[in-house]
Amino acid sequence: MENSILQLFPFHSRQLWQQAAMEQEHIQEIRLRAGRPVILYMEGRETYLTARGAFTDSFRQARIITEKELEETLEHICHYSPYAFEEELRRGFVTVAGGHRVGVAGQAVLEADGSVRTLKNIAFLNIRVSHQRKGAADSVLPELYTQGMLKSALIISPPGCGKTTLLRDLIRQISDGNAWGRGMTVGVVDERSELAGAFLGRPQNDMGMRTDVLDGCPKETGMLLLLRSMSPQVIAIDELGSDGELRALGQASACGCRILATVHGESREDVERRFGREPAFWERMFDLFLLLGREKGKCVIKQIEKRGERHVQNSGRLYDF
Amino acid sequence: MFRILGGCMIFSGCLGLGIWYRYQLTGRIKALRELQNILELLAGEVRYGRATLPECCGHIARYLPPPFDEAFAGIGSRMAENTGVSFGTVFREETERSLAMLPLKEEDRENFLRFTTKTGFADGQMQLRTIEQSMELLRATEEQQAGENAERCRMAVGLGAMGGLLLILVLI
Repeated sequence: MENSILQLFPFHSRQLWQQAAMEQEHIQEIRLRAGRPVILYMEGRETYLTARGAFTDSFRQARIITEKELEETLEHICHYSPYAFEEELRRGFVTVAGGHRVGVAGQAVLEADGSVRTLKNIAFLNIRVSHQRKGAADSVLPELYTQGMLKSALIISPPGCGKTTLLRDLIRQISDGNAWGRGMTVGVVDERSELAGAFLGRPQNDMGMRTDVLDGCPKETGMLLLLRSMSPQVIAIDELGSDGELRALGQASACGCRILATVHGESREDVERRFGREPAFWERMFDLFLLLGREKGKCVIKQIEKRGERHVQNSGRLYDF
Repeated sequence: MFRILGGCMIFSGCLGLGIWYRYQLTGRIKALRELQNILELLAGEVRYGRATLPECCGHIARYLPPPFDEAFAGIGSRMAENTGVSFGTVFREETERSLAMLPLKEEDRENFLRFTTKTGFADGQMQLRTIEQSMELLRATEEQQAGENAERCRMAVGLGAMGGLLLILVLI
């Protein structure tokens, strides 16, 4: 995966992206907007790309990306066949080799029923660089097991605090087996191809040897499908978003599956309010609640609350990853 | 004895020239048909497989006769390497040698390659249309050639034989 972001660009513009590719490990996002400067998000801060491909903090020296360049980049990303990515473009992103996700925005073409048919005049690209940080879950793993038995866990985090990175490593370590528990069969419903970063159905990230990935499938449908077809011991999903997904999770939990899930939020109250569910509902499904955040630019696990615990103060349990 | 032998050689040389010219005329039609078949297969892959153009080329390689099988497999594998070179350039480079081996005119080659300059359609139907346009141009040339050819072929062989006889008479 080293330098894999270079492959997102056509041959004639690769020179420009050489340095960025070398710093790929530190880049979270690359924002390309037609007629606007190229902006990179590196370790939580913004930087620009100059015409020579160097980094600068001054937007006056930033390179402006033209509409034509943006079109060529998108065409290259889509292998010169955007029609084959119709569904992905409709959903607003394309996953590419290396597991990176390219978000697109432009002018929506609507169906008669108001649903999005496709996007045209695409003028904005957001390249979210995929990072697999092996070992990100090391510090939290002991909390997840009781006498070799895995607990169900909900990871609550604001955007950009590493919930997907943490979940991905948890899946890998649970699947392969670790010092606290034996390897388990994990079923992953990767609706937006963020966890496994699957390209043509093959995970680009190491998801562990006992992991089955259902790529690009809506989470609600996917969980039930996996339950029927792959009999997973653990079901993992990223970014819980709807009531239907919660119901499907409930069914999986009732079938004896352990659940690993992430959700956007600042706190448990935040999540409870958003879904309109009582605390008891969440505690029936999850044994452990991990609250993530950022401190001094680093992603940290701010709190770990067990079932029945609430507002636990960090008693020295603050992990960064 | 030598005169007869020389006459036979002149006659067969001229007749051979006529037959070669006839082959050029019929060979072009055959080659045009072959190119249409290739595009037909490609369109089928786009239509039913919804695969990307480089993937389609890789898929159809196994159904193509030599030398196109290798050329199309080459397109698939080169594009999979993702060197950043565009599909149009790779397609042109890989098929160049195969096309040069066929009795085609420059305009036929350009008509065949025309669709590679028009990629990037978000709608599959539009991409199919570009391939079909290339096919239609090739078909039109083929039909035009077929109409003119019957007489030309007869004339080429006839002229070759007559030319041979004339040369023999002049030289004897």
